[in-house]
Amino acid sequence: MENASYFLLALLWILCWGTIGAVVTPRIYGRKDLDVSQAGLAGAATGAAGGPFFLIPLWYLTPELDWKWVVIPAVVIVVIFAGAFAAADPDNLCVTRGGFVATQLVNGLVIGIIYGLMALGLTLIFSILGVVSFAHGEFYMIGGMAVYYLTTIWFPGLHPLVGVLGAALLTFVIGIIFERLFLRAMNTGQVERPGEYAILVTFGLAFFLQYLTLALVGANPKKVARFVEYPAINLPSTENPALLKVTVSSIQLFDFISISTSRFTAAIIAVVLLGALMWFLYRTWIGKALRAVSQDRQAAAVAGINPNTMNTLAFGLGTMLAGLSGASLVQVFSWVPWVGIPASARSFVIIVLGGMGSLPGAFIGGLFVGIVEAIGAGCVPDPQRAASYIPAYGMLILTLVLLLKPTGLFGREL
Amino acid sequence: MKKLLNLFLIATMLLVAVPVVAAAPPPQDGGQDYVVVADDWLSNLADKFLGDVLAYPAITYYTNQKNSADSSYARISNSDEIEVGWKIYIPSSEEAQAYFAGQTTTVGATGDTVKIGALAPLSAPGSVTGGAAMTAAFEIAVEEINAAGGVLGKPVELVLVDTEGLPERGTAAMVRLINQEQVVGVVGEYHSAVGLTAKEVAHANGVPTVFAETWSADITRVQYPEVFRIAPLSPVVSSVDAEFVASLPGIEKVVIMSENTGYGIPAAADTEAFLAEKGIAAVSFFADLGTQDFSGIVERVKAENPDLIWVLSTGETSYNFQQQAAEGGIGPQDVPMVCNQVAADSDAYWANVPDGNLCFYRRIGLPKQKFTEATTAFEARYVEKTGKESAESYAMEAYDSLKIMAQAINEAGSTDPGAIISALENISYDGALGTITFPYGTQNPVPDDMDAMWWHQFPDPAITIRQYTEVGQADADAATVFPATYKTADPVLP
Repeated sequence: MENASYFLLALLWILCWGTIGAVVTPRIYGRKDLDVSQAGLAGAATGAAGGPFFLIPLWYLTPELDWKWVVIPAVVIVVIFAGAFAAADPDNLCVTRGGFVATQLVNGLVIGIIYGLMALGLTLIFSILGVVSFAHGEFYMIGGMAVYYLTTIWFPGLHPLVGVLGAALLTFVIGIIFERLFLRAMNTGQVERPGEYAILVTFGLAFFLQYLTLALVGANPKKVARFVEYPAINLPSTENPALLKVTVSSIQLFDFISISTSRFTAAIIAVVLLGALMWFLYRTWIGKALRAVSQDRQAAAVAGINPNTMNTLAFGLGTMLAGLSGASLVQVFSWVPWVGIPASARSFVIIVLGGMGSLPGAFIGGLFVGIVEAIGAGCVPDPQRAASYIPAYGMLILTLVLLLKPTGLFGREL
Repeated sequence: MKKLLNLFLIATMLLVAVPVVAAAPPPQDGGQDYVVVADDWLSNLADKFLGDVLAYPAITYYTNQKNSADSSYARISNSDEIEVGWKIYIPSSEEAQAYFAGQTTTVGATGDTVKIGALAPLSAPGSVTGGAAMTAAFEIAVEEINAAGGVLGKPVELVLVDTEGLPERGTAAMVRLINQEQVVGVVGEYHSAVGLTAKEVAHANGVPTVFAETWSADITRVQYPEVFRIAPLSPVVSSVDAEFVASLPGIEKVVIMSENTGYGIPAAADTEAFLAEKGIAAVSFFADLGTQDFSGIVERVKAENPDLIWVLSTGETSYNFQQQAAEGGIGPQDVPMVCNQVAADSDAYWANVPDGNLCFYRRIGLPKQKFTEATTAFEARYVEKTGKESAESYAMEAYDSLKIMAQAINEAGSTDPGAIISALENISYDGALGTITFPYGTQNPVPDDMDAMWWHQFPDPAITIRQYTEVGQADADAATVFPATYKTADPVLP
């Protein structure tokens, strides 16, 4: 950073006026007897974006606050932030090379889709059982291991997609058995403190699965060959592949956006699965029953839905989604028994960001975290620290969300 | 809450009461048998019969001695756990005193075995791959030592403790080995971060320790009499690395991909400094161990336009980086890349980095053509035991660290720490790594013009740079490209 002071000043400006907006705006709206539910967030966003120039008119006119008052200032904040960054570090790759930023964005988006799929499982479990499963990362790990053993060790030559289905089945069955054995007790009054019980029992499951896998398969990293071997494509021509160049290992778009083929395959699998899940949840009777239970247990029970069955199903589906994300990524990353630990931490960040229990929130949160991580790793000026901070970018988002909107982007208002 | 408070009060009262009671002992003459009843525990019995709560190890010792002759006595494997109905032997005060007086020479050699402690990372975030390999090597060493008659005429009992690669776990593991297991010496460990804290415990307790695969120079630089090392020194490895890079044509800029650890940070700094001496620029990138997604970093490395990429990250983290670099167009087939030394595990390497042909990697330990009889024999046993294609350097180091300790105890003729240390300083041991000696120590201090890191250091672990030249090639078939004394082929540049 050559002119770090520009960036720090802009950051200070955003923070100061954001805080002032967040504190003062609800009081002004309150004094005028207006709705204050959005005043804090909108005040913070408006203040951070325009400082006194936006805040004073807001306080004077006190318009009705809706989502526009958050989204438009948020865009302005991103622009100010990026502008200050560009002024502070004019030689940064993220400032000088559009292609670099585009590649980072695309990579973030692709991995974000899979993060979203995994977080969707966690949020599904939370919305129906009211339990945060600390063993979510272990199901992700088992999904990958299952594909490895099915397609490489036990049945060499088995089509990878069959392996993915096998992994889905395995994680679904483990999830269902665990729910029936250990979590059912929470709803039958056998457990004095269901919340704490759930935390402890899922923690226990996490350690059990992790060390059981370590004992069974060993510590050597495993990996599955690419699911799909893409044919070589060069557009418009082989000599000048300016539009699209596909090789065995990577896809290059417009000569500057590059993404690995295995990651692309994983993202395609994730998108198809997301579509299937949405269809299941919104178009089938069981899916509707699941959503009904998440909205109101008692009312759903009155309407003839057995909430306990839905609990079991939701837990199985949730663990299956984690297993499927692992299954699609085992061709991208090296797989070890503790691979689920960071993945699980990331899922917690995503569902808090999107709103606990919100399905669209989990997906959009996944994309968001994927992009922030990629941009952070790409743009933080110090090469020594850029990658070390990857887990911290997620935590930064978590902190901001908890400060500004504890219910998350799409969470139900309390 | 109230229950907790009560427990806390009781615990506090016990702690306060202990010294008072200990000050007024009711001494008891003559040993006696005793049957454990409810609410007994050993320190309580020691207090009652011997007048000292801390005298319980004497009860454990004598009971176990009786047990080996008469099985009606219990066998106490953990002094914290005794069962109602067990018959134990409470020694007389004289017997207890005799036990404690002789303890310094009988520690670890009590009972029927000689206990040697071993450290290895057996769970994450440590290198579990390394820990598993070391465990197999230790087992082979124990079998060999015991088949050859053991140590001081008794079989060796290895107490292996998991360090998880964490400094604080290293301290705890050492304390447990020394105080609870009462080992005569400690061997092993993979991570420098653990070695750095473990050496302090070894020093504080005067327990001889031979580190296997901890490279940090600071471990021996402090010149503790108890601490020995057979792994190479990190700065020496970095200088060999730099020599190799300088020997390649046209290298002006190097990108180093390292890990955020007690090994990775100084190793990258050393490598940068040695490269700078050769007039080669270097940029270091760091990532946490366990990082999976390197796509953002690969793009940045690509933008640096390096002439060579050097991977210091270890374990599966290195595989992830190397494969993703290859997918991003800066793999070993695009830019010369020195992969992490775990690439020497060829099966795992090719499974995880299928696009990694032409990778260079460093290997510690003798190259195949210079194998001694001991190396060949160990590798054969190791391959048979693990099903791998060859033995990794850290497996050889683990094996040698334990065998050298056993040889030192035998040469010392006792388990006295001073005698073992003196035996280690004078040792000449033929093992898998070659002939190991420790030239500099108390009898022959490190000269003033030499870095103090050479203290109790095996000076000559062979360091070679190798290269895979065919997809799926085994480590044994890979070419040795550096240094000149071991070279079998010229490096192939992409």
